Amino acid sequence: MKKNIVKYYPLIPVLAVYLIMFLIGFFMPGMWQMVALLAFYCALGQSWNIFMGMTGYVDFGYVTFIALGTYGMSLGITYFSQFEWLGMGIIVIGLILAMFLAALAALLEAAIALRLRGAYFAIACIGINEGLRYFIEGAKIWGGSEGLIFFGALTQSLGRETVNQLTTFWADFSVFVIAALAAFLNMHYMRSKIGYALTAVREDEDAAKVMGVNTTKYKTLAFLTSGLLGAAVGAMAWGLKLGHVYPGDVFVIHYTIECIVVVLLGGAGTLLGPVVGGLIYGLSKYWLAIIMPGFQLLIFAPIIIIIIVAFPEGVIGVLKQRVKRTALEKYIV
Amino acid sequence: MKKRIVLLVIGFAAVFGFLLATNALAIDKVVIGHPACLSGKYAKAGEQAIGGVKACIDWVNNVYGGVLVAGKRIPLKYKYYDCESKKEGVTSLIERLITVDKVNVVFSAYSSGLTLSGAPVAERYNMVYMDHGGASDRIFQQGFQYIVQTIGPGSKYHVGTLNMFDHFDPKAKKIALAYEDSEFARMTMGGAEKHAKKLGKKIVFMRTYPKGVTDLTPLLSDMKAKKPDIVLGGGHYEDGQLFARQMSDLDINVKGLSLVASATLPAYYKALGGNIAEGVLGPSHWEYGVTFSPEGAMKVGLDWIGPGQDEFVKLFKKALGKDITPDYHAAEAGAQVLAYVKAVENMNSIDQDKVRASLGKLKFMSFYGGWDVDDKTGMQIGHSMVDMQWQKGKRVIVWPLEAATGKLIYPKPKF
Repeated sequence: MKKNIVKYYPLIPVLAVYLIMFLIGFFMPGMWQMVALLAFYCALGQSWNIFMGMTGYVDFGYVTFIALGTYGMSLGITYFSQFEWLGMGIIVIGLILAMFLAALAALLEAAIALRLRGAYFAIACIGINEGLRYFIEGAKIWGGSEGLIFFGALTQSLGRETVNQLTTFWADFSVFVIAALAAFLNMHYMRSKIGYALTAVREDEDAAKVMGVNTTKYKTLAFLTSGLLGAAVGAMAWGLKLGHVYPGDVFVIHYTIECIVVVLLGGAGTLLGPVVGGLIYGLSKYWLAIIMPGFQLLIFAPIIIIIIVAFPEGVIGVLKQRVKRTALEKYIV
Repeated sequence: MKKRIVLLVIGFAAVFGFLLATNALAIDKVVIGHPACLSGKYAKAGEQAIGGVKACIDWVNNVYGGVLVAGKRIPLKYKYYDCESKKEGVTSLIERLITVDKVNVVFSAYSSGLTLSGAPVAERYNMVYMDHGGASDRIFQQGFQYIVQTIGPGSKYHVGTLNMFDHFDPKAKKIALAYEDSEFARMTMGGAEKHAKKLGKKIVFMRTYPKGVTDLTPLLSDMKAKKPDIVLGGGHYEDGQLFARQMSDLDINVKGLSLVASATLPAYYKALGGNIAEGVLGPSHWEYGVTFSPEGAMKVGLDWIGPGQDEFVKLFKKALGKDITPDYHAAEAGAQVLAYVKAVENMNSIDQDKVRASLGKLKFMSFYGGWDVDDKTGMQIGHSMVDMQWQKGKRVIVWPLEAATGKLIYPKPKF
């Protein structure tokens, strides 16, 4: 029993960071949206890391899941808000739709793209993302290029005060929950047979196959988990929070690049890495946009380069080496 | 005893009244907050908007003397951050502007998407939220209570154009609509269709084409077969060029051709040359050269506020430190400053609900043209677009007549 608990010790610093962030946002005036921004990056990093960190496959089309999650929530609210008796149930329906769309996309993508490796896998993922965007626009489904705007429908269904709370607090709070869930799943996979199988895939996929590891099964599982978490973030942070969706605003590769930067800054394949990466990335961007608006990207780029050069394995990757054989070792994973 | 109590109550009332009055007088600045797009995909429009806001703040503070509240002239201040044209940036920066910087009004970021992203946060804090970059009509169908629009709604882009054709040639009945498949262009097309029908015109062709299109000949060939008198269309700069070029290739000569978001750009004529671009029209929120003036405002019974056009251009160049001509992004952002100042002065207060109510009732004219919003939704209804036409390499404003700098060449010269 104790052994079971001990293996989850690395979750303590992760959850402690999330708790501190939450308390700062909750009690300090004007900080809530900032910590929500940080939680968004941490949650995305943590979710993306489940697949990339463990398998070494770089999914450049990850934003597809975030976008589909946004669409799931948007469709749920747009089409079910007319049934007033559903009340808050429309958000649950939206979340279920988000999960369904993401699961469908993950399984289809796994069937097509996971047969490929390296650059071919990356290009296939980008292709699927772009294809899906142009399909929505071209086939004019889900509002086509005009997107869906449902803030009004949500307000009519739930009332102005409730919607104010939902969009500016609970949507962000749920991102914290998703980030914590992603950390837990990450840890669980790392410390189970799944993690070992995925590590074998990362080190040498052919050798893993020869040794009898069902690589397809484990890769698909990690891909699906990562995709579902990304979709949940999209549903809450973009769908519920913003009350609208345009295909051109959500199927944007830039967000996948942000996931990659967050994870590499903190340390790929580590548990605490995406949290540290998310904090460095989010805080730098936020404060630089305030201190020197318009010039922040000029400063931001060298900061990223310096960190990557100083910590080639990410901040946590280097820290892990430093705390080896110390009391802190069991907490830094 | 009773007398003492009465005196005490009067005393309290006097102190309370004094405190209220001094509180009003204690305002030493009025701050405009803006999550501007200084980088990212809307950086160009964002830079123009900042220049426009700074130019009009300069005019309010140094020429007008400040905002008149409670008998005192108070200077305007401007606090802006860079949202990088991203929705996450907009939400976090708006909250900071409201809660940390304690701004008195928030100007939206550019585009309908970013305007929508910031609206829930502004609503949460009951903050007046002024939109100078979100043209989508649907923003104003969501029940936001504090939003007010300065930019003309997308559905009105071709209203003036159709009125103009109807004015000069009421017999030109056959209209073709061919727009890019984007939210903005569809909104424009829907508005044009509705208004054309209202004017008794016949829509003989109506179709969209995909973004990034490289060949419009199939669509244009179909359109040619319908023999339209007037063609309205476009969506972006690139497809606007392709549209006119391929109309020329297919020898489709019509009486009038108006293209949104492309023909108004100075580079358009250069890229296409005189044979193709000559006579092409484009609607714009504002163009350098418009002739709105205090005298014009008086004629239509509107108050005038703000700098004249040339003064605005001078202040704009000074604000950005660059020798560039302001475009409509700058003009609408600048006009928004003037609208806010008028609203505060009319209500003699910076209280959010009072200013919002005042904006709903406000009607005035500035270098940007007319300004009037629907009281309930906050949607702009008083600003008419201007229509410009390329004439011998020059952009000539041809409609509305009160802003025109030249006469419309009609029918359009053949390609």
